[in-house]
Amino acid sequence: MGSDEALAAGFAAHERWAFGEAYRRYASLLYSAAYNVLGNADDAKDSVGDAIARLWRSPRPYSTARGDLRSFLVVCVRNDAISRLRRRTRRLRVEERLASITPERDDPHLPDPIERDRVRHALQTLPAEQRVPLELAYYEGKTHAEIAAELREPLGTVKSRIRHGLQKLASTLRAISGAERDRV
Amino acid sequence: MTYGHIGELAELYALGALDERERTAIETHLDTCEPCTRLVGSAEGNVALMASLEPRRESPPDLNRRVDSALHAQHRAWRFPAAIAAALVIGFAPSLYLWGQERAMHRAMYATDAAMARLASAPHRTATFGATAGGPAAQVMYAPDGSWYVVVVRNATKALDVVWMHDGQRTMLGSASPIGDVSALYLPKSHRMDTLALVDGDRVVAQATLNWQKTAPTRRGDRSG
Repeated sequence: MGSDEALAAGFAAHERWAFGEAYRRYASLLYSAAYNVLGNADDAKDSVGDAIARLWRSPRPYSTARGDLRSFLVVCVRNDAISRLRRRTRRLRVEERLASITPERDDPHLPDPIERDRVRHALQTLPAEQRVPLELAYYEGKTHAEIAAELREPLGTVKSRIRHGLQKLASTLRAISGAERDRV
Repeated sequence: MTYGHIGELAELYALGALDERERTAIETHLDTCEPCTRLVGSAEGNVALMASLEPRRESPPDLNRRVDSALHAQHRAWRFPAAIAAALVIGFAPSLYLWGQERAMHRAMYATDAAMARLASAPHRTATFGATAGGPAAQVMYAPDGSWYVVVVRNATKALDVVWMHDGQRTMLGSASPIGDVSALYLPKSHRMDTLALVDGDRVVAQATLNWQKTAPTRRGDRSG
């Protein structure tokens, strides 16, 4: 059993060591995921701290049937962050928030600018009918019902476009990642 | 989502594009449905890929300490067998004793380790299922914060599905299978459910309304439903 599998099995068994190790292994990713939704450090810390504590309190938060533990944790933290974002009365426009998360240049732990822009570049490859609802969901934390109302499209149409847009985007991102690995 | 599977809601769940009630319904369904769990896992992989390619920041040291503290300060949540046994002790011990259950059931009921004592003293409420003619006699005990539920069916002759009724839909929670002539289903949850039903096939045979009004719960539990 590889280390990822052992960690996932330990997490599914609700072992304390596995919760601690999973957090340590993915701490930067989880904190960044929350920060990129909420745009400030205090809220991001609350989001990650509360999400992990809630998982620890839950009897069966994760099963290995769910697949990748890292993905599960990222989505848990993002969902918590999105709930906080919705509760906030002050809403930032997506451009303002994206600008606010532009990292400081002297931070040695940050990816280079090309890497930072990959998701947004990949989004541009989607047709607008898929890209716009996906951006509203991912960057603005809107529900599918809010998106349907804003775009004046039927709910079923919006659901379908988000689904296909996400699948296509992931496929594009994987292809880009694969091509970059091949060049190295 | 209906009584069936979640379908295209998997991507919306992973993106965070569902409202709180829809999200809770999905999470409840995932407790009992492995195909949908795999579907959501796949969608989570796509969203995590997006998140992993976005700007990265180091996690602050105080957050790391906070998480470490949470993992060591909080005890794990309810364990399935202990919680069922505790709930039976709380709400049904006298009746069950008279019913002459199997010896194993008695041993479970009267186990008295420290954990049991703590669980048995937990505040809880009780709601009785209103049954259709010939339907089962059943009750649900539940934590005032909705963190756990135990459904107990007396004189059970076969397994019944326990479902959450909400928004004109049914969300499958699990099946209560008979042990002797009592069925019990423990449901660790993180939310409050207003209406539970027992379903035989597609037919609702009993339904309970849970009371979430703020009243001081007692050790024996408040009554509602």
